[in-house]
Amino acid sequence: MNAQTSSLLRASFPNLKRAAVRSTAVVQARRATSTSYPYVPGGPVLKGTVNDPTSFPPSSRSHGSYHWSFERLLSASLVPLTAAAVVTTGSQYPMIDAMLGLGLVVHSHIGFDSCRVDYLHPRKFAILGPITKWGLRAFSVGAAYGVYAFNTNDIGLCELIAKVWHA
Amino acid sequence: MSSSLARSSLFRAVHAAASSSSRVSLARRTFATTVARAQAEPVPQEKQPLLKEFKIYRWNPDEPAKKPALQTYSVDLNQCGPMILDALIKIKNEVDSTLTFRRSCREGICGSCAMNINGTNTLACLCRIERDTKDTKIYPLPHMYVVKDLVPDMTLFYKQYKSIEPYLKNDNPPEKGEFLQSIEDRRKLDGMYECILCACCSTSCPSYWWNQDEYLGPATLMQAYRWMADSRDSYGKERGEKLQNEMSLYRCHTIFNCSRTCPKGLNPAAAIAKIKLELATD
Repeated sequence: MNAQTSSLLRASFPNLKRAAVRSTAVVQARRATSTSYPYVPGGPVLKGTVNDPTSFPPSSRSHGSYHWSFERLLSASLVPLTAAAVVTTGSQYPMIDAMLGLGLVVHSHIGFDSCRVDYLHPRKFAILGPITKWGLRAFSVGAAYGVYAFNTNDIGLCELIAKVWHA
Repeated sequence: MSSSLARSSLFRAVHAAASSSSRVSLARRTFATTVARAQAEPVPQEKQPLLKEFKIYRWNPDEPAKKPALQTYSVDLNQCGPMILDALIKIKNEVDSTLTFRRSCREGICGSCAMNINGTNTLACLCRIERDTKDTKIYPLPHMYVVKDLVPDMTLFYKQYKSIEPYLKNDNPPEKGEFLQSIEDRRKLDGMYECILCACCSTSCPSYWWNQDEYLGPATLMQAYRWMADSRDSYGKERGEKLQNEMSLYRCHTIFNCSRTCPKGLNPAAAIAKIKLELATD
């Protein structure tokens, strides 16, 4: 097995990787500096010696507090937006349709993106990670365009839900 | 021959009588068992043995090919202390000396005996044995690399704790004397300084399970906030700035396992929420 296929297999099947490193679990951190035990995200081999602190990723507010604030504000603003959509009709106020459509798509994109970072982060999944990352982005853009087309060319989001509700 | 024997015994009796008044009470106290035996016979109170099964996770690094397994030990609760740690020590002393676990203070202040007991991370020394005949399952802390039996590898946890610089940093110490702190400022540290770093909370957190290498976990984050909230520390901004990334802090999804499991009754989730609020508003 050459190095490329091995890394591909490892990236696609984390269990295989874990099986490969299980035998090194015993030696653990004592030999963490040794080059024969390369660092693998998630262990058991750690970066540096046991006395070195772990390092932080590069500081970025757009990945940190700005992202968090935006996510929370969006979630909170969806509540009155949904209420407004219930009491009015989309054909009366097309802006509600537009804001609700975009807000819901962005909201669910952030939610799915959080799942992706949790479970399929590229640092652990060299192949599957980027695929899901760009796949989700493409999916969200497609969904946003679909909602836009539906709102402009058809009855719109609120009318649709009202129709389904009374069907 | 006989007269000399009689004389010596007489002498002893007189001597004893002369000193008895002062010594007898002391002697009674010192040799309490002797006195008790001179009094009534104790009524034998033989309790029926109350057997409980403890199923304990066993894995030996010397036999790496052997899979980890639960081993069952039967303990008579009437011959055992009230806590899970007492049962573990009893098993190690009397049944199987190869059983391996960490313990030190046996009163919930050292954090050594953190383990997963009946599905909950807690300290074995603070966890009562339920006096029924259901079995108790004991595992090491979840999702940690196991050194042996109930001993998890805490190296990464301590490395993460070190990364938040858990000590006072202030470039302008007071010219004379110590840092003065108002009662209100001191009160901000309550509920955080009591943490004993047993890692029960961190290892109960699913986010910490999946992203242990990058996410700091509730215990470390609460200590990070303990220093951010300290009025004597002047590096709060810098401490917060280090957490401004996708992984270190924001993998917390407010699952609240940490607050639910904390054996000291602390609330790491609240501390993390305060960090998020502080970072969002500054």
